[in-house]
Amino acid sequence: MSQTSNQLLIDVGSTYFKVSTNDSIEQHFRDFNKDILDDLLHHCGATINSFAKEDVYICSSANGGLNTLIIGVSNSFSLKYATNIAFNSGINIIDTILYQNIEGYSVPSDLIDVVIIVGTIDSCAGMFGEDLYQYLGKLEYSNIVFVGSEQDAATIEQNIAKVVVLPNIIDNKLHIVEEHLKQYLTNLYQQDIEGKEDIKHLYDITSNQIYPTPYIVNRALPQIDARYSVVNPFILLDIGGATTDIHYSKDLVDDNLVTTNEFDRLVFKKLGVYKSKQSLIFTAKNNEFVYELLMHLKVTENIFDEQSKKATKILMQLAIFLVLCKISHYRKAYINLKFLTINSFVLTGGITKVLSVAEIEDIVGFFYKKILTSEHRPVVVLDSNYDIWTLGVQGDQSCQ
Amino acid sequence: MKVVTGVVGNDIHVVANRLIDLSLRARGFEVFNLGVNTYLEEFFDAVVETGAEILLISSLNGEAEGWGREVKALKAQYKNLDDLIMMIGGNLVVGSGKAEDIVPRYKKYGFDLVCHQVDLNTGLDTLEAFIQERNTP
Amino acid sequence: MSLLQEERKIILNNEFVDTFDFAEVKEFVTNASKDLFISHHFKQKAKDKMLVQPRGGFPTYKKQFALYEFFVEANVDVLPLTIDSNTRLNDYATASKMLRLSEANDVDMLNGYPLVNHGYRTTRKMITHFNKPVSLRHGTPDARLLIETAIASGIFEIEGGPITYLLPYSKNFPLDKAFLYWKYVERVCANYSTLNEPINRESFGPLTATLVPPAITIVIQLLEMLLSLEEGVKSFSVSFAQNGSMTQDIVTGAVLKKLAKYYAEQIDCADAAIHLVYHQWMGAFPTNRDYAEQLINISTVIASMVGADKIITKTREEAVGIPTKEANAKTVANTQYTLRILNGLPNVVDEEEEEILTLEVQAIMQAVFNDAADTLWRKVFNSIKNGIIDVPFSPHIINHNEMITVRDAKKNIRIIKRGNVPIPDRCYAYEKAQCDLTKDTTSIVNDIIHDIGIMQ
Repeated sequence: MSQTSNQLLIDVGSTYFKVSTNDSIEQHFRDFNKDILDDLLHHCGATINSFAKEDVYICSSANGGLNTLIIGVSNSFSLKYATNIAFNSGINIIDTILYQNIEGYSVPSDLIDVVIIVGTIDSCAGMFGEDLYQYLGKLEYSNIVFVGSEQDAATIEQNIAKVVVLPNIIDNKLHIVEEHLKQYLTNLYQQDIEGKEDIKHLYDITSNQIYPTPYIVNRALPQIDARYSVVNPFILLDIGGATTDIHYSKDLVDDNLVTTNEFDRLVFKKLGVYKSKQSLIFTAKNNEFVYELLMHLKVTENIFDEQSKKATKILMQLAIFLVLCKISHYRKAYINLKFLTINSFVLTGGITKVLSVAEIEDIVGFFYKKILTSEHRPVVVLDSNYDIWTLGVQGDQSCQ
Repeated sequence: MKVVTGVVGNDIHVVANRLIDLSLRARGFEVFNLGVNTYLEEFFDAVVETGAEILLISSLNGEAEGWGREVKALKAQYKNLDDLIMMIGGNLVVGSGKAEDIVPRYKKYGFDLVCHQVDLNTGLDTLEAFIQERNTP
Repeated sequence: MSLLQEERKIILNNEFVDTFDFAEVKEFVTNASKDLFISHHFKQKAKDKMLVQPRGGFPTYKKQFALYEFFVEANVDVLPLTIDSNTRLNDYATASKMLRLSEANDVDMLNGYPLVNHGYRTTRKMITHFNKPVSLRHGTPDARLLIETAIASGIFEIEGGPITYLLPYSKNFPLDKAFLYWKYVERVCANYSTLNEPINRESFGPLTATLVPPAITIVIQLLEMLLSLEEGVKSFSVSFAQNGSMTQDIVTGAVLKKLAKYYAEQIDCADAAIHLVYHQWMGAFPTNRDYAEQLINISTVIASMVGADKIITKTREEAVGIPTKEANAKTVANTQYTLRILNGLPNVVDEEEEEILTLEVQAIMQAVFNDAADTLWRKVFNSIKNGIIDVPFSPHIINHNEMITVRDAKKNIRIIKRGNVPIPDRCYAYEKAQCDLTKDTTSIVNDIIHDIGIMQ
């Protein structure tokens, strides 16, 4: 799959932006004192101006994505399905409330971009009541969507202003139905960009929809073996400045989700090496293996206070280790991957510019030995040229 | 009436599970079958999502003893399941055991109806009788 | 290096595999004895001699070797290698531990031969020693490493497929991934097939072995065959198990053979050799060992009526547990005897049944082909997801479970509720007309319970 006509692909991250044409790829550290468009034009104005608006494709994770709160009635169905759809739609920040305990949850002080209410199959009625409306009354949010039982839709509409009602995401066999909510959330992302001062001007240079970067990446994964010798089942880690994204092959979990996407996604919102550096260090200090790992890397705890290139490297290696811990049996989480059957680890994002394959293999090996007591060693592949998002953006064009 | 059913844990007796499903439908129940290899939490969660009045767990490989004692504590975490009819059937112990020992033990675990090595139709007759009795004032 | 070759290198670079020598394996297959290839035997065999293959796998090399000695003594045609369930789930670490325990204590801690752990260098010694074709029996959704090891060991028949090894066994392994993993298997088999005689692929027709109607069995056989042939496999066996009615078996065999040839031609693969395999009764077996032997004998007679190229046998100890090597060998000897004395079989044809079944299969196949997806595997995936293909008694969450089947008075399996499966109206009416549908549903359920235990 090669770029057939001349197009400009831009990915705006929280720390860097990348600009790719047929012949070249460049990346620049963002200047946070500047508007994103000004910053882009400052670095690559000539390139950008040489392309027509319809030939420019942008994806972004720069504005942190949508801040989402899901209110559902069970962990195994409504909350799990909505979370799965939200992650796969490119949403980064997800908090969940189990409805029966809603009175026990504190009300977040931040503005929520979207609230998702979900619960029960269509043949049920009367699930939600006054306690929900009271909670919502205290909550500040911009959008609210209902994807539960169709019988409850009328009551919900009566009691919640401006609620959007979509078809139930749980069908009568208790299976997941993804498409409506997924489409809603990706469209909302677009509107969100249009409404945000620092990023909305990007539409001055493109006439195409701006998608969340992880959404694009997820869609590219089934074709990734056209570019790399990556062997299924694999996981992809995108350790960024603010968050860490994991895309994993569906056969690595035992979920009862019948979907057509071969990969699912998960995000750790406070694991990053730039904006989220302090919380990364905090997580590290609370991990019982980290001192061993630092010893293994021949550094001390003081490295956390340093501002050197070496310190960044160590931080990135730590990030890999902590993320792997979070999705292994070592920490009971949203998912636990079957690590022993993974054949490839793919890494993308800024990390590929800092760490070598050997340095990553070293960490992966340490993780398998210490946490899983296994000699298994998946092959590490670096997506240093951002081939994966190029693939994803191009795939998007062919769909249009 | 709505029934959630399935086979618990590490048990792959699909034929029995399908037959329970068919028999319940034949008797006019609306069935939500979670199939084999189902976790306890999934059963209760499915009850919440479907508004089922009955939960019928089957266990054929005798491992029910291993998780049976967790049922009560788990159910207590759910706020609106007090009226749920809880039934368990199949081979409830490994090896041989007497029904008069087994039934009270499982009742203590929180099941209203316990069918140890009882044939399917008899078991479902018991369920229907139980429902009728409950519904008569 | 091709992408497939790079993928193979990564898969074979596993901590449980001692260095895989690609060049040496290629050389071995190129020069391997023709006797090891079942495809060669299919070509050579006198028209009337059906190949006999038992089942069996033990954890240790020593016991597997002893089993083969018994089989050879009983005049076996094809040796089986059944793989343990840890290996089927790609859990080589547990398989390794259990193998060591089995070797140390002389107690079988695995329900089959952990081929990956034994490795191809060891296993090949056994296979070449006996110099008979070996058939790999497993049940693995991701069999990439297993198949590489098998072929390197001299095992040139590979059973299974993305549908037949998933829907009967797994609850939630993603079916789309299974298709991709089996595509690799087909490609590897196709590549090795150019070196010597072809590697034979065999589909697993019995599925759940519980009231599966012939139309569903045949459709799945044809689709797995097409998925295999389109990757370049040149020798393929379609299979099914004893249904319970002799007429239905004969009709199933005839339609399966006819349509396999037809659909292979449709994708320009007429040059591939297609064979028919018959499984002796796969449902619940009588506990009475003498009755079990009678059942086995009847199965052999039907296999001959069907015109199978190979029969896969059961044992008199089937209802009891994992059969001993003695019981296994006894079946082989008995089956060979029955085949020897079965002569002058009549040619039975039931035209009406054949027509009905053909129409059903063609209608389902057409619905699969009509799916909008761009590849065959995704068409099949979507068809299973939509319930166009529905396998009774499958535990898999993707399966619809809307089809209901029962036996009619002659013990033919009939569809009384078609669900989303596009059984043509005329055929559906015919199927239902054979059954007594005036009964209330509870007695139909009782019939189904009875039908499952029909041979007991």
